[in-house]
Amino acid sequence: MLEILGGLLGLAFAAGFVGSLSGLGGGVFIVPALVIAAHMPMVVAIGASLISVVATSAGASVAFVRDGWTNLKVAMVLECATVTGAVAGALLAGMIPPVVLEFLFALMMLQSAYFSLRKQGDELVPHGDEIARKLDLAGDIPDESGKTVHYEIVQLPAGAALMVLAGIMSGLLGIGSGALKVMAMDYFMHIPLKVSSATSNFMIGVTAGAGALVFLSRGNVSMSVSAPVALGVTAGALLGSRILPHANARVLRLVFTVILILIAVEMGWRAVKGI
Amino acid sequence: MATIANPGISEEDRILRVWTPILLRTILIVSAIVLVVGLFLMATKSPDNYVTRFHAAQRADFIEPTTFVQLLHLAAAGDPHSVLMVGLFVLTLVPLARVAFSFLLFIRERDFAYVAFTAYVLAGLITGMLLGSIG
Repeated sequence: MLEILGGLLGLAFAAGFVGSLSGLGGGVFIVPALVIAAHMPMVVAIGASLISVVATSAGASVAFVRDGWTNLKVAMVLECATVTGAVAGALLAGMIPPVVLEFLFALMMLQSAYFSLRKQGDELVPHGDEIARKLDLAGDIPDESGKTVHYEIVQLPAGAALMVLAGIMSGLLGIGSGALKVMAMDYFMHIPLKVSSATSNFMIGVTAGAGALVFLSRGNVSMSVSAPVALGVTAGALLGSRILPHANARVLRLVFTVILILIAVEMGWRAVKGI
Repeated sequence: MATIANPGISEEDRILRVWTPILLRTILIVSAIVLVVGLFLMATKSPDNYVTRFHAAQRADFIEPTTFVQLLHLAAAGDPHSVLMVGLFVLTLVPLARVAFSFLLFIRERDFAYVAFTAYVLAGLITGMLLGSIG
């Protein structure tokens, strides 16, 4: 038993560590790790991953919420969209052939890779939409010099639509869909990148939690796999977040993106072989 | 990391920012302790059962107890597998708990738009659980 347990803990620790350092989250790494290295079927890997993503989201959110980077109101509005998608996705995951899931997973990994390589910069808008104003969604953050910068929010419906998709992918594939969420907030809604990342991280808890509850209540979660995976991923993510401020973010991002593309190719190849 | 000083911050927001992290951290620690205890019990009481279940998972074969009440009884009796399951359930309740907390706060503050949003999210989480146990 101890060899299996140790192996799973090590695998999960590495996935959590890499997920946290790359900013892509543990899910995109733990699912392929379980499928390729531990010979687990997709459904077991997805269930285990969803639960561990809930844990890392909660752990990482603590500091962001306390220090005011998370826009809680935006999170609560958009969670309506992600929770709808996630429940639908998790219910569908039981019916869709594993080959399709593996293929979709490869696609989502490529989206993550594209996301992490894309040029990033904040484009703030002077006036928010009427709906954003009514819901009091705008916020303030400090810029590099410590001066307060006010940001307004636009295109809430477009952002919410993308959040439904992020939810579906999360429930289907066991990932947090952080790359899609940040894109919706940063690109469509013009929320500053750092606020988008913190808010996405916070929302991932509800998205993955919705999927995890479907899997758990359906009895589709293997305790002997999920328990060590949840502990390992959380510990790895904690260490990663401690090291991150001292690391060269650009080099890390490049290295992890290459790893991501390689895993995407492997998952895609498995899907093709399975057809 | 810099803390954002915002004099215009509402009471509602202030309460959320203080209590949400405490709620998240507490549940996380409790579930981690339950999971570690469960794995320890598994290693000392029934390591063979663990290996059997691991190989069953590789065949997508889930051998689980049926009802939640049954599960709690088994966990209380120290059945390692049920202790693990309770730990994972507690962990999954983290988002549910913090949405429920915001929901109650928004009711107190009479912020009805956000009462509606959080109620919808809660309903979604509970629906997922119910649909999962039926389907």
